[in-house]
Amino acid sequence: MPRLLSSALALRRDPRILKIPPYLSLLCILVGAVWLFLLPLNEYSRRTYISENALLPGQVHTYFGGSDQNVFRAYKQEVNSLVGKSNVEINDKLESIVKGLGLKTARQNFTYNAAGRTYAGENLYAILQAPRGDATEAIVLVAAWENAKHEVNKNGIPLVLTLARYFKRWSLWSKDIIILLSPDSIAGPQAWVDAYHDAHDSSRVASLPIKSGALQGAIAIDYVQEHRFKSVHIVYDGVNGQLPNLDLINSVVNIAGGQMGMGVALQEMWNHNDKYPDRLRTMLRGMLKQGLGLASGPHSSFIPYHVDAVTLQPFGEGWQDEMAMGRVVEGTFRSLNNLLEHLHQSFFFYLLMHRERFVSIGTYLPSAMLVAANFTIMAIFLWMKSGQPEEVPAASTPESSDKDTAAPTAERNLLLPLAVVTLSGSLSAIPLYIFNHVPESALTPSFYFFLVINTLLPIAISIVSTQLFTPTLQQFHLIKSFSLLLLGMFLSSLATLNFSLAMLIGLLSAPLSFVKPYSSPVARIVGFIILNLTSPPAVLLASAAVWGLNVGDILREAAVAWHVTGTYSAVVVWCVWWPAWLAGCVCVLGKPIHQEGKVKKA
Amino acid sequence: MRQLFSFVLLSLVSFSSLLSSASAAAADYHEQLVLRPLPLSALLASFNFRSNISLSEFEAHNFRFFPRSLGQILQHAGTQELHLRFSLGRWDSESWGARPWDGAREGGTGVELWAWLQAATDEEADHKWLTLTNALSGLFCASLNFIDGTRTTRPVMSFQPEGDHLNTTVADTHLLYGVLPHEVVCTENLTPFLKLLPCKGKAGIATLLDGHKLFDASWQSMAIDVKPICPIGGECVLQIELTIDMVLDIDRSKRPRDNPIPRPPPGHELPCDTSKPYHSHDTCFPTDHQANQDWTLSQIFGRTMKGTCPLTDPAVPPVCLQVPNSRSVYHSDGVLEKKNLDRISRCFEIKPDVNFEIVLPAPEDESAVLVKPETPLLYAERSFTGHGQERGGVQTILRNPSPDTEVEFIYMESLPWFMRIYLHTMSARVQGQPSKDESLIKEVYYRPAVDRARGTQLEVRMRVPPASTVFLTYDFEKSILRYTEYPPDANRGFDVAAAVITILSPAGYNLRTTSLLCSLPTPDFSMPYNVIIFTSTAIALAFGGMFNILVRRFVAADEGPEVGLAVLKKRIKERIGGLMEKFKKNKGRKTENGVGEPREKVNNVGVETEVAKV
Repeated sequence: MPRLLSSALALRRDPRILKIPPYLSLLCILVGAVWLFLLPLNEYSRRTYISENALLPGQVHTYFGGSDQNVFRAYKQEVNSLVGKSNVEINDKLESIVKGLGLKTARQNFTYNAAGRTYAGENLYAILQAPRGDATEAIVLVAAWENAKHEVNKNGIPLVLTLARYFKRWSLWSKDIIILLSPDSIAGPQAWVDAYHDAHDSSRVASLPIKSGALQGAIAIDYVQEHRFKSVHIVYDGVNGQLPNLDLINSVVNIAGGQMGMGVALQEMWNHNDKYPDRLRTMLRGMLKQGLGLASGPHSSFIPYHVDAVTLQPFGEGWQDEMAMGRVVEGTFRSLNNLLEHLHQSFFFYLLMHRERFVSIGTYLPSAMLVAANFTIMAIFLWMKSGQPEEVPAASTPESSDKDTAAPTAERNLLLPLAVVTLSGSLSAIPLYIFNHVPESALTPSFYFFLVINTLLPIAISIVSTQLFTPTLQQFHLIKSFSLLLLGMFLSSLATLNFSLAMLIGLLSAPLSFVKPYSSPVARIVGFIILNLTSPPAVLLASAAVWGLNVGDILREAAVAWHVTGTYSAVVVWCVWWPAWLAGCVCVLGKPIHQEGKVKKA
Repeated sequence: MRQLFSFVLLSLVSFSSLLSSASAAAADYHEQLVLRPLPLSALLASFNFRSNISLSEFEAHNFRFFPRSLGQILQHAGTQELHLRFSLGRWDSESWGARPWDGAREGGTGVELWAWLQAATDEEADHKWLTLTNALSGLFCASLNFIDGTRTTRPVMSFQPEGDHLNTTVADTHLLYGVLPHEVVCTENLTPFLKLLPCKGKAGIATLLDGHKLFDASWQSMAIDVKPICPIGGECVLQIELTIDMVLDIDRSKRPRDNPIPRPPPGHELPCDTSKPYHSHDTCFPTDHQANQDWTLSQIFGRTMKGTCPLTDPAVPPVCLQVPNSRSVYHSDGVLEKKNLDRISRCFEIKPDVNFEIVLPAPEDESAVLVKPETPLLYAERSFTGHGQERGGVQTILRNPSPDTEVEFIYMESLPWFMRIYLHTMSARVQGQPSKDESLIKEVYYRPAVDRARGTQLEVRMRVPPASTVFLTYDFEKSILRYTEYPPDANRGFDVAAAVITILSPAGYNLRTTSLLCSLPTPDFSMPYNVIIFTSTAIALAFGGMFNILVRRFVAADEGPEVGLAVLKKRIKERIGGLMEKFKKNKGRKTENGVGEPREKVNNVGVETEVAKV
C-alpha cells in the first residue's frame, strides 16, 4: 500500500500526466455522444416484456360494444350541444349525466396565475365505488374537455361517460374507479392530483370533498378525431421527464396491438418501420420531450405522485371505431384491476425507440455520465494546474536549484475565483425570477433585453474584475475549475433524475471545457462569439427558429409549467447552465497578467 | 344399522322439539330474515339466528341449540362475552341511510374480534386471548391466529359489555380487541358459520345463504355475539346471536348464474329517454338507472326458501319485508301475509314444508316504491393526506346531519406500530373555520406503540355540533421495517384497520370508517437496483480515494499554516490595511496624472499569508 501510494504521488508529479486530461475530456464527450447513437442497435436495446405477471394484459374478453354504441351516440349529442358553453354549464350537464349513472360526484375549483394570465376552472369528478371493495385503492379515467392543443375532446368525453355506465354493471372491480372530467389538460388534472395528495396550496386550489384510496394508475383519453381511426398513440412523458412504469405502456401495447389488432405509435412517429433511423428518431424525440420536462397531457401530472399514467390518442385513417377504443380502455382497466401490488416491477427509467424496444437506465446512463464527467475531469485538471507555478517565475526562483524532488506549488488565490463563481450563481436568480413572473406581453421584450444584457454582462464583469483585482492566469483557471466542478456535479446528479436534460445541457455546454483565457485579442473574440452562440438565450432563440415558434410562446409555456406543474427545467437552465456559461465567458474575456514568483515548497 | 340409528335419533329430536315447542323452552331458538329494498336498486337482507342456553346447562356441557364447538372454546378460554365480525365492502350511508341494527352487528373490513375474558392478571388474559384466537382461527378457517400482541388493544372507552355480568365477576374481566383488516372474508368462512346453526343450511331462512350471492354482495357482515343475559328474577342464560347482513345489487343478482357477464343488452331492450330530440333506433339516452325495483326471492338468492326450521319459535315470523303497505307483493301458497301497523313492513308466516317465494312486481306508484331510509346520526369518512414515504396524515371527516342535536361519540383507532403518530398534531376543526376548536375534543386516551410489540391505541371522546362538519386530523411518521418483516406483496402497502365510532348521545349507534392502505418505504427487492447501488458505491469509493491522492498536498504539521481566530483577525487587518494603502496610492497616482503602471500591486499583502487549504 505505501508503495502504491508513493508511486501514485510520484505519478501525479509527472508533467506528462497534465497533458492527458483535456484529451481525456474530449474523449469522454465523444464517447458519450457516440454511445447515444449506438443505443438503437439491436445489440444495445432490448425487447419489451411484461414484468408484472399479475397484469395479464389482453387475457380477458372485452364486452364493451353493442347497444353501448347507442348510448355513446346519445352522450355525444349531449356533449356536442355543450361545445362553446362555459365551464360551469358543461359541468352542470355532465354532472347530471354521471349522477344518473349512480356515481358519487364532486367538483373542485382551481386558479393558477402564470405569465400574467389566470388559469382557472372547475374539475368535475365522480367515484364509481368498487362493488365489493373497501376504498383502499383506486384507478383513474381522465378526459379533459380540451386536449393539450385546445381542441374539444368531442369523442373522449362521451366515451368516458359510456365506459362509466358500462363499468358500473361489473362487480369484479377490486379498486374504485374515479372519472375525472377536467376543463383543460394541464392545470385541471394538476390541481386535482395535488389536492388528492394534499399537496395543494389551498388559497388557489380547493380541497377535494370526497376521496377514495391510493391511486394505482390512470388512463387519459384524448379522442378528438371525428372519423374512424387506425392506431393509438401513447403519450407517456411526465412532468420533469419522469416516466410511468414501463409495464403500463407494455400492457397498452399488448392490448391495443395484440388483442385489438390496432397499431400503437409513440412520440408522434406515425409510421415506424423499426429500422435504425426510425428508432433513433423516436428515441431522440422522446429525449427532447423528456429534457424539456413539460406536461404533455392530462396524465403528466399524475406521474410525480408515483401514479403511473398514460394518455391514449387515436389517430390515422382506419376502420376502428369508438367502441374499439373503449375496449382498449376496458382491457387496460381490467389489467390494472388485477394488480395486487402497486406497479413496481419493470422499469421507471428507460428510453423507448419502438413500441417493443427500449433501453434501460443501465445501458444509457453512461453516456450522460461521461459527458458530465468531462467537466469534473477538466475541473480537477485546472485545479492541479493552478497549483503549479508558472514556468517563467519558477525558473527564476532561487530555491529551484534544490535537489528536492517535491514539485513546487503555487499559492492559490481563492478569493476572486470564489467571488466570481458565487456572483454568477447568485445572478442566475434574476433571469429565473424575471421569466417566471413577467406578464405575457412583456416576455418577448424582456427576453431580447436580456439577450443584450447577457452579451454585455461577461464583458462588464471582466472589465470590472480586471480593473479592480487584476486577476492572474491562475485565478482564471480557478474560476473555470470551480464553475466546471459545479456543472459536473449538478449534471451527474441530474442525469439520474432527468437523463435527457443532463445530456442536452452537457452537450450544449461542452465548449466550456475547452475555452481558456487567450492572449491574442482575435482568439478572445472568436472564443467569445462561439460561447455566445451556445449561450442559453441563443439556444432558446435558435430552437424557436427551428420549430417556427414564437420566443414569447415558449417562455410563456415555461412560466406556466413552472407555476402549474412545477417543472424544474428553468432552474437547471438558469441556475446550473447559465452561471457556468457566464464564468466561462469571463474566463475567455480575461486578460491575465503573469504572476510573479510567489512559490512555496510543498 | 347406522341409518336406523340416525332415524331413531331424528325422530327423537323431532319428538323433543315438538314437546319443547309447547313448553317454555320455545323461546330457545328463533330465526328471522328481514328484507329491505334500498335506493339505487339495492336490497338489504338481514339474517338473524338467536338461541339461548341456561348457564347451568352450559356449564354442564348440555348444549342444545348452542353450538358445541364454540361453547367448548368459550369455556376453555374463560370467555364471558364474545363478539366476532367478518365484513366485506362498505355501507354506503349517503344512499342507504342508517345501518342495520344501529351498527351494532357489523365490523370493519376484514375480521374483528373482541371479548371479555375472565382472568386474574393481564398475563393470564393475554394467555387466554391467545388460546381463544387460535381456537377460533381453526373453527372459522380465518387467520385469527395472526391477532398477536401488535394487533391487540384493550379499549378503555369504546366498548361496553352488552350482556349482564355479575358484579363479582366484572372486576376480573378483561376486554381485549383484535382486528385483521387485510383478511379477505370468503366462502370458507361461511361454511363453518352455517354449521353453528341448529338447522345448518338445510331448512329455514339459512337455505337462502349461498356463498356466490353472499360474496357478490355490495356489503356484507357476518357477526357472532355471545353474551350472558340475566332477566330479573329468572335464571341467567347465555345467548348466541348469529347475524348476516348483506346488501345485494338487484340488477347484478338477477343475472342468470350461468351467464353472469353484463353484456350490453340488445338495442331494442335498452330503456331509452324518448323525449330527447335525437332519439332514434341507434341513439339512446339510457334511463335504466331508475329501474330494477321488481324482483322475486328466487331471482335474488338463486333459489326459493325451503320451509322453516322445525326448531324455531313459531311465534316469530321467519321472513319480514319492509316496503310500504300500499305496494302489492305476491307470495306462494301456504303462506300467511301479515301487514304490520307501522304501514311500512309486513311479515310472512310460513308452514314448515312449504317452498316460500315472494314476487315484487314493478311498482305502479313511483312514490311508494320503498321505505325512505333513515338518516344516520353521523357520517364518517377517513382518508390519508400527504404523500411520500416518510410521513403522512390521517383526516377524518365527521358530519352531523341533524339540524339541532349535538352528537357525542368515542372515536377509536388501533393503528399498527409502524405508523408512529404525532399526538400533538391531532386537532379538530369545524368546516368553514380556519382555526382548530379546542372544545370539540373532550377526552383523549392514548397508548403509544412499542416497536414490534404493540400498536397505537387512540380513543378520543369528542362532539360534533349540530349541522356541521368536523375535520379530525393528525400526522404520523412511517417507520422503516426490517427487510424480513415485509410480506411477499410488500408493494401493496399495509392495511390500517377501520376506525370505530361509538356514539354515546343522543342514541346508541356504531359505525366504522373504511380501512386504509398505507404504503411504507419499500426496498427494491429486485436485482438491477442492487447492482446499480453496489457499482455506484464502488465507483464513489474509488473516485474519492483517487481525488484525494491527486489533490491533497501532504505537509508536516509544523509546516502548515497557523489556524485560529487570532490568525484570521490578523489577516483581516492586513487586508484592510492593504486596501487602504492601495486606495491612497490610487489617489496619489491620479494627482500625479497617471505615471507608472501599478504592476507591483499585483501581489498584495494578502497573498503572502493565503495558503490554499484543501
